[in-house]
Amino acid sequence: MTTTADEATRGSATRAVTARPEAPKPSGLVYLGLAGLAVLAFIIFWVTRDSGEILLIPLGFVTLWAPLYPVIGLAVMLLTLLVCYRARVGTMGGFGALAFITMSYWAGSTVNFTLLEIPSRWSNVEPRLRAFLDPNWSYIWTVRDQWLITISMAVVATLIGCAIGLVLAMLASPVSSPNKGVSQAIKAVNSVIRSIPDVGWALLFVAFIGGTAHGLGPMAGVLALLMFNIGIVAKLLSETIDSVNPGPVEAADAAGANLTQRNRLAILPQVLPGFVSYGLYVFELNIRASAALGIVGVGGIGSAIMLQLNRFAFENVAAILIALIVVVLLVDMFSMYIRRKLL
Amino acid sequence: MITFENIDVVYPNGFKGLSNVNLQIDKGEFVAIVGLSGAGKSTLIRTVNGLVPFTSGTLKVGDEVVDPRSKAKLRRLRSRVGMIFQSFNLVTRVSVLNNVLVGRSAETPTWRSLLGWYRAEDKELAFKSLERVGIVDKAYMRASSLSGGQQQRVAIARVLAQDPEVILADEPVASLDPPTAHKVMRDLRRIQQELGITTIVNMHHLDLARSYADRIIGMRAGEVVFDGPVEEATDAVIEEVYQRSLTAEDIVAGDAAAESSAAGDAAARDSATEGAVTERSVPAAKAQD
Repeated sequence: MTTTADEATRGSATRAVTARPEAPKPSGLVYLGLAGLAVLAFIIFWVTRDSGEILLIPLGFVTLWAPLYPVIGLAVMLLTLLVCYRARVGTMGGFGALAFITMSYWAGSTVNFTLLEIPSRWSNVEPRLRAFLDPNWSYIWTVRDQWLITISMAVVATLIGCAIGLVLAMLASPVSSPNKGVSQAIKAVNSVIRSIPDVGWALLFVAFIGGTAHGLGPMAGVLALLMFNIGIVAKLLSETIDSVNPGPVEAADAAGANLTQRNRLAILPQVLPGFVSYGLYVFELNIRASAALGIVGVGGIGSAIMLQLNRFAFENVAAILIALIVVVLLVDMFSMYIRRKLL
Repeated sequence: MITFENIDVVYPNGFKGLSNVNLQIDKGEFVAIVGLSGAGKSTLIRTVNGLVPFTSGTLKVGDEVVDPRSKAKLRRLRSRVGMIFQSFNLVTRVSVLNNVLVGRSAETPTWRSLLGWYRAEDKELAFKSLERVGIVDKAYMRASSLSGGQQQRVAIARVLAQDPEVILADEPVASLDPPTAHKVMRDLRRIQQELGITTIVNMHHLDLARSYADRIIGMRAGEVVFDGPVEEATDAVIEEVYQRSLTAEDIVAGDAAAESSAAGDAAARDSATEGAVTERSVPAAKAQD
C-alpha cells in the first residue's frame, strides 16, 4: 500500500520536473506600436471632440487638465492592451481588441450616443409609459379584422414568396443552375431585390397601386412582403444548395436525368428541411413586419397601431403590442414544433 | 462492347488523367481495374459515361461514339450505362424505392419526376431490381436507416432500374467491412452473370479483384500498364504495376463463406467466359519491361 503511494508521489514528482511548453510571448515591440496607435486615436478624439467636459488632475504644484471622454477612452484602450499582453494574446488579437474599442468610441461619439439624456427627459417619458403599462384590454378584440388581414397577408406572401424563392434559388446556385451565366445573373437580381428593405417595397407599392386610403392596403402589403420574402428565401436557400452532398447529384447525372429531374430528385430532398424552416422564418418575419408596414399605409395590424398612435391612445397601442407579442410567440412555438418534427 | 482508341484526358488544371489508353472490353465481361490512388482508375471509368470528358481519341460504347460535348447524347448514353459509387450516393432522406426510381429518370417525363408520380411499370421495374439484390421488403424505408451494405445494394438496384448494358463501379466496396464487401461483390458478380451486363469495377483490394473478375487491368500514372486474365495477374505482375511490394493493405481478407463461394465463382467463370479472354492490346509482357 505504502509502496504504491510512494510510487505515485515519485511519479508525480518526476512528471512535475518535465518542462511545460509556454505560450509564445507576443512581440513587445508590436504591442508598443499598438499603444502608439491608441495614443494617436486619443489625439484624434481630443481634436474632434464635441463635449467640452474637462477632467482636472491636481498634482499639488500644478493642476493638469484633459478632455474627459478622450481620456477615459485612452485609459480603456491602454488597459485592454495591457490585459491582452499579460494574457499573451497574439498581436493580431491585440490589434482586434484595440480596433473594437476605437471603432465603438468613434461611432458612439459621432451619433452623440449617451444614456445621460434619459433622466432629464423623464417628465416626457413618464405619462406615456404609464399609459403603456395600463393597456386597454377590451381594445384587443375590436381589431380582430386587422389581425385577420395581417395573418392572411403573411400566409399568402409566405406561400407565393417561398415558391418563387425556390425557383430563383435553384437558378442562382451554381450547383443546380443550367450554367454559370444564369447563376450570376439571378444572383445579381436577388441582390437588387434584397437591397430594398420591406418598408421600401411597401412605400413603392403604395405609391404605384395605392394604399389603405384607396382600399388597396392589403394588396400593397402582400406585394411588399412577397418581394421581401423572395429575397430572403432565394438567398438562404441558394446557399444551402451550394453545400448539398454532391454524391446524389452525380448519381442522378450518371443515371441520365436532365437538369430539372436532377434538381427535383437529388437536390430538393436534401434542402427540404432547410426550405421549410426558412418558410416558417419568413412567416414570422411577415407577422412582425406587418406591424411596421402599417405606418407607410398598407393594411393589417400596423394601420391600427398607426391610427391609435396618431390619437395618442397609448393604452390601445399597448394592448395591440401585447397581442402582437403573444401572436409572434405562438407563431414561433408553432414553427419550432414543426421544425422539431421535421429534422 | 466498349472501345478506347488513343484516349487522352487532360484536366482543366493541366493534369494528365489518362494518356493514350487503348482498350477493348467485350460485352458481358467483368473487368477489375487496379492501381494505386491517383493512377487514373476513376478517370478511366468516368470517361465511359462522360462524367469526365476525354480530350482526344475515340470512345465507343456499343455502336455509339461518345461525344462529351453533346448533353442530349450524353444523357442517352448514361441511360444505358449505370454507375455505382464508393459512398453509395443515395438521397438519404427519401425512401429506398424513390432512390431506385432515380434510375428511371431518363425514361420518365420531367413532369412525372417533378410530381413524383411514376408509371406503374417503372415502379414494378424498381421492385424487381430491389428483389434482385434481396431488399425488396425495405422499399418504403428511409435510405438513411439502412446499413452500409444495404445502401450499396440500393445503389445497385438503382443501376439495375436503368436496365443498363454496362455497369461502372468506382470503388464500390472501399467503405464496407470485409464480409459485407464480399457480399456486395458476390451480388455484382451474380448480376453480371445472370443479366450479361458488362461490368467494370475499380478496386484497390487485389484479392477481391482476383476472386470476382474475369480480367484485370493495371494502371499507373494514367496509363494501362497491365491487361490480362486473372491468372496472369500474379503478385510479381501487380508489384510491377504498383511499383512497390504488396502489403496487407492490398487485400481485404475474407470470410469463410466468401472463400467457398469465390471458389464456386471461379469455377463458374472458367466455364462461362472462357474464350472471352483472347488477345489484349497491352499484353502482360509489356508490364514486365
